[in-house]
Amino acid sequence: MTDPTASATGDAPDLTVVIVDDHSIFRSGLRSELDPALRVLGEAATVDEAIAVVVATQPRVVLLDVHLPGGTGGGGAEVIRAAAPQAPATLFLALSVSDAADDVVSVIRAGARGYITKSSSGAEVSEAARRVAGGDAVFSPRLAGFVLDAFGAVAGETAASIDELDRLSAREQEVMRLIARGYAYKEVASALFISPKTVETHVSAVLRKLQLSSRHELTAWATARKLL
Amino acid sequence: MTDVSAAHPRSSGRLVRPRLRIVAGVCAGFARHTGLPVTLVRTVTFVLALCGGAGVLLYGWLWATTPDEAPATGSGGHHDRLPKAALTTSARSGSLTTPVAPALASPATAGTTGTTGASVDAAAGEPRRAPVTEILLGLALVSTAGALIANRLGAELPLDAIIPAIVALAGTGLAWRQFAELRSGAGPRSSGMLVRALGALVLVALGILLFFITSESPNVWTVIVAALSVLVGVAVVVAPWAVRLTRDLSDERAAREREAERAEMAAHLHDSVLQTLALIQQKAGPHSDAARLARAQERDLREWLFTGTRNAPVDLAAELRGFATTLERDFAAHVDVVAVGSVDREVPEPLLAAAREAMLNAARHAGGDISVYVESSPAAIEVSVTDRGPGFSIGAIPADRWGVRESILARMQRAGGTATVQPGPGGTGTEIRLTLPLDVQEDTP
Repeated sequence: MTDPTASATGDAPDLTVVIVDDHSIFRSGLRSELDPALRVLGEAATVDEAIAVVVATQPRVVLLDVHLPGGTGGGGAEVIRAAAPQAPATLFLALSVSDAADDVVSVIRAGARGYITKSSSGAEVSEAARRVAGGDAVFSPRLAGFVLDAFGAVAGETAASIDELDRLSAREQEVMRLIARGYAYKEVASALFISPKTVETHVSAVLRKLQLSSRHELTAWATARKLL
Repeated sequence: MTDVSAAHPRSSGRLVRPRLRIVAGVCAGFARHTGLPVTLVRTVTFVLALCGGAGVLLYGWLWATTPDEAPATGSGGHHDRLPKAALTTSARSGSLTTPVAPALASPATAGTTGTTGASVDAAAGEPRRAPVTEILLGLALVSTAGALIANRLGAELPLDAIIPAIVALAGTGLAWRQFAELRSGAGPRSSGMLVRALGALVLVALGILLFFITSESPNVWTVIVAALSVLVGVAVVVAPWAVRLTRDLSDERAAREREAERAEMAAHLHDSVLQTLALIQQKAGPHSDAARLARAQERDLREWLFTGTRNAPVDLAAELRGFATTLERDFAAHVDVVAVGSVDREVPEPLLAAAREAMLNAARHAGGDISVYVESSPAAIEVSVTDRGPGFSIGAIPADRWGVRESILARMQRAGGTATVQPGPGGTGTEIRLTLPLDVQEDTP
């Protein structure tokens, strides 16, 4: 997942980002580490600040901590739900120190386009932000593992049709398995003899299922977190 | 009551009753305290007891006022040879050695090698039930009979005081014996306990009432004093339960406080230390020593914070994560473990060993980013270890290299599984896949 897509920075305008994290030391650290091509429009430390900053600056990508103080206690997911309608062009990338599945799922279901861990390097975060801005979903190996678990892929459940939301197709399972093994998208593509674009299509489809599926595991998490 | 006195019985400055005892340890304790031969003390007590019951009274008084010896730690060995010396039931903290009558009923675990010749140790953790109730009853009967005979022979004895006193003492002893059982946690049938508790209450009340009724012609003051005495008696009988109740309550409160404190600390650590560790990893670059240390610390802390006390069977993923932490400490590697599915049974040891070996190999020869993927389905467990190192092919391994050939391939084959070694993603590095089919048991839930 670290392969650089060189085309993204060429003629495109600067990628604008907002960093939302309640630790100033982390914000400044990330800011200095980010790729120079990324222009940081603002920072926020709480849910309310984040909503205000995102709505005011309309960035392309928000680097959003999952755990945030303020608001009604909904953390990153609350920011997405409140800010997304007023910032239609903005995409959200979740950052978390927590690998807990329910934390990640809550932001993904709220509308985040991907999830990476906070220990990722500045280059990795920049790359992920660029990928999200390009319309792709960003899956960490752990998120892929969680998806396989939640959609019953391990137990052998396979979607019968393309429209089915509650199960993964055989191809999607293969892609997720390889991502969980640590393969980058390009490596997934060459291992499965498909084009990188197809891999991205599969990943986006999985993300959509993750956001829309009513599978009971997902629903249980969502209701427990008062998302539905 | 201190450990010192237990360790050096003869140098003890305080009069305590040893664990090793025939009746209540009064004679033995006295003998130890004064340095007199225990046999002599016992004989004198016996003779005194015959002299109008003076010995019995003295014995009872010392019994009531002398604390029990603290349970000796680390005394092990053979079991009791004196059946009567087994007046011990359970552990005793020593904090409750109030000098009230409950001596007989006081529990104990460990005996110390005392002065009676027979070296006796109560095996810790093996509670023995002594016939305390029977002994109490027998003592009460014998002393009553003795007092009656002495009275007939002409000795001027305050019979009307002694008999009620004995009855009351017996009741109290019974009640405190209940206490011993309550504390030991060996909950007997509750009905039996109730009966005995009621019996104790009745005995105490009866004893105190008798004392006043038989003494003089009753008047208002006698009645009032009698009523108060009964109340006090009941309080003494009930005290064990009250003590236990308050103790349990405070224990529970302390536990709750500890839990709340822990949760608060976990939240704080999550907010501060984990964030800082993440920042260090981010700033230090993925393969630096600082990042590795921070990562190992983070994993440790995370495990401590979120797993708590876990007593589940060995989890393959948790096991491999733990191993990944140690690898990251020893090698310049970054090991990511992703686990999917769960196994509800013991992980086969060969698979675990082979997976460890594969991870060690990857960390040692390749380093850098290593991905470990565990998929546990009902039919099979699959572990894949992927690295980005120089890679190797199985044919190129010298025959004398045991690492891969023996520890991974042969081990998996013996266990009925398979292991493959192939080039890693995109043709770089190595990917080792271990597959172990599980014999599917339909009846397991």
